[in-house]
Amino acid sequence: MAVAVAKRRQARGLGNERLREALVGYGFIALPLAFFLLFFIFPVGYAFYISRYDWQIFKGPFVGWGNYTKLYHDTVFWTHAVRNTLVYTAFVVPLEVALGLALAVVVNQAIRFRTFFRAAFYFPSLAASAAIVSIATYILASDGLFNTILNHLGYHHNNAWFGEQSTALPSIIALTAWTTSGTMMLFYLAALQSIPTDVYEAAAIDGAGAWRTFWRVTFPLLKPAHFFVLVVSVIGALQMFDQSFLIGGASGGPNYSTMTVVLYLYNQSIKNISFGYGAAIGVVLFLFIFTVTVIQRLLFGKPEVA
Amino acid sequence: MDTEQLPDVPPVAAIEQLAVEGEAAKGTPAAGTGIPGRERGERIRTAIAYVVLFSVAALFFIPFLWSVSTSFRTLADTVAGFSLLPRHWTLSGYHDALHTFSFGRYTLNSAIIAGAITVSNLFLASLGGYAFARLKFPGREVIFLLVLGTLMIPDQLRLVPIYLMLVNWIPGWVAHLGWHNASFVNRNGVIMIQLVSAANLFLMRQYFLTIPRDLEEAAKLDGAGYFKTYRKVMLPLAGPALAAVGILTFQGAWNGLFWPAILLQDKSQYTIPIGIANFHFAYQTLWPPLMAASVLAILPILVIFIVFQRYFVAGVAASGVKG
Repeated sequence: MAVAVAKRRQARGLGNERLREALVGYGFIALPLAFFLLFFIFPVGYAFYISRYDWQIFKGPFVGWGNYTKLYHDTVFWTHAVRNTLVYTAFVVPLEVALGLALAVVVNQAIRFRTFFRAAFYFPSLAASAAIVSIATYILASDGLFNTILNHLGYHHNNAWFGEQSTALPSIIALTAWTTSGTMMLFYLAALQSIPTDVYEAAAIDGAGAWRTFWRVTFPLLKPAHFFVLVVSVIGALQMFDQSFLIGGASGGPNYSTMTVVLYLYNQSIKNISFGYGAAIGVVLFLFIFTVTVIQRLLFGKPEVA
Repeated sequence: MDTEQLPDVPPVAAIEQLAVEGEAAKGTPAAGTGIPGRERGERIRTAIAYVVLFSVAALFFIPFLWSVSTSFRTLADTVAGFSLLPRHWTLSGYHDALHTFSFGRYTLNSAIIAGAITVSNLFLASLGGYAFARLKFPGREVIFLLVLGTLMIPDQLRLVPIYLMLVNWIPGWVAHLGWHNASFVNRNGVIMIQLVSAANLFLMRQYFLTIPRDLEEAAKLDGAGYFKTYRKVMLPLAGPALAAVGILTFQGAWNGLFWPAILLQDKSQYTIPIGIANFHFAYQTLWPPLMAASVLAILPILVIFIVFQRYFVAGVAASGVKG
C-alpha cells in the first residue's frame, strides 16, 4: 500500500512536471508566435479584406471584386508590369541557375585558391543591391567603363544602358544573373558535396569522361537541388523590386520599361495611396507565386533534401 | 562546417588523386592521369583552365575595385577619360558623402536597425527553436508547421495590411501600454516587423536537435530550470548556428531596401540603401561620393564575410536543406 501511494505521488509529480514543461514551452514560443500571427498570418486575411474596399487614405465603400476587375482591365499592369516581370523571369532564371551550377562544379574540384574562388563568386550575392546598382549605373553610364571598352573594341555605343528603353531591362537581367549566381552556386555546392564518391568511381571504371560523367551521373543526381534552386530563383525573380526601384524609381522608367509587378504594387499602394487596389495586386501576385510553386512541385516531384 | 573541413569529396579530383597522389596532396589541380605522354597536354590545359577561371573571377570583382578607385577620385577626374587609378587621390568623395550628403547619419541608422533586428532574431529564434526542439507541449507540431508556413507568405502581400496596421492600430495599442503618440512609419516600424523570421527559428531548431541530450539531463539533475538550461547549456553549444543566424540576419537587414523604402519617410532616418536610392535620383553623375557611399554600404559586409566566411556557407547550406 505504501508503495502504491508512493507511485501515485510520483505519477502526480510527473504530471506536474509535464504541465510545467508545457507551460514553459508555450511561454518560450509566445513572443515569436504572437509575432507570426500578427505580422504574417493575420495580414493574409486582412489583405484580402482591404482588397474588397475602395480604400484610399481612409476606408471607403465595399466594392466586392471591383479592384480585381479594375486590375483585369489595367493596361499598364498587363502590358508593362506583368510582361516585364515574365520576360525578366524567363531570362534571369536559366542564366543564374546555369551560371551557378557551372561555378559550383568548378569550385568543387580540388583546385588551387579554391577558397578564394568561392569567395569571389559568392560575394556579389552579399553586397547591398543599392550599392551594386549604383556601381552598375556608373559602369554602364554613357561615358562609363563598359562603353569605353566597347569603343576600344570598335563597337560604338554612347548611351547609358539603364537609361534607354530598349536596353534597360536586358541590362538588369544581366546584372541580376551575375549577382545571384553566387547564391545558386552555394546551393549546388552543398548538393554536390553530398554525392557519394563511389558513384564517380563507378563512372570512371566504366571509362566515362568528365563531360559524360557530368551529364549522365552528376546532373541527374542533382535533381532535388535543381528543384530547390528553380523554386527559389523563380520566386525571387517574380518578386523583383530592388533593381527597378533603384534604376527607374517608382514609375519604372524609362517609359515603364523597368516596371515590374512588385514595383507597380509599391507604386499604387505607397505613391498613389490606393490601398484597396494595392492589396488586390498583392493577393493576385501571392496566388500566382503559389500556383507556380505547386506546378513546379508537380513537375519535379516531392522535394527531398537539397 | 568550415568549407575546408567539410568532408567534401571533389569527385573527379578524388579519382585522379589516386593516380598522382603527391601532387594532389599539395593541392595542385588534379592534372594528368599518370599516362605517359599525356602530361604535357594536360599541363597546358590546366594552365588555360586557370586563366579562364581567374578571368571569370576578375569579372566578379573588377566592378567593386573600379568603384573603390572612383571613390578616391575628384569629380573632374571621373570625366577626364580612362585611367586605372585616380590621377589625384582625394578623400573628398568620402567627405562629401559622409557630411554633405548625410551618409554618416545613414550609416548610423543602418547599424541601429540591423543591430536591433539581429539581436532580437538571435534571442527569439533561439528561444523558440529550443522550445520546438526540446520541450513537449500539446499542439507543438501544428504550431511549428504554422510558423514554417509563414515562409510561403511574400512580403508584397503583407505590404498594405502591415502599413495600415502600423499607421492605424499599433500606435493605439502601445498607447494602452503607456507609450503615447508613438509612430511606426519609421525606424521602429522597420525593426518591429522583422523581430524574428521563421527561417532563423527553423535553423536554430534543427541545430538544437543535433545536440546530445546528456548535458541537459545533467543540468536538470543539478536542478536547473528550463530557462537556465537554455541559457547556460544550450546557447553555449549552439555557437555555429547562432553565428549563421546573426550574420545572415545582419546582412539582410543592412542591405534591406523593400521595408525601409516603404516605412522610412523622414530623411533623418534613412538607411544607406535608401540614401543611395535618393542620391541616385537627385545627383546621378556625382560619381565619387556615390561610389564612396556604395563602398560604405559594402565594406562592413565584406569584413564580416572575410572573417566569418564559413558561417555564411553553413547558413546558406542549411537553408538549402529545408527544401
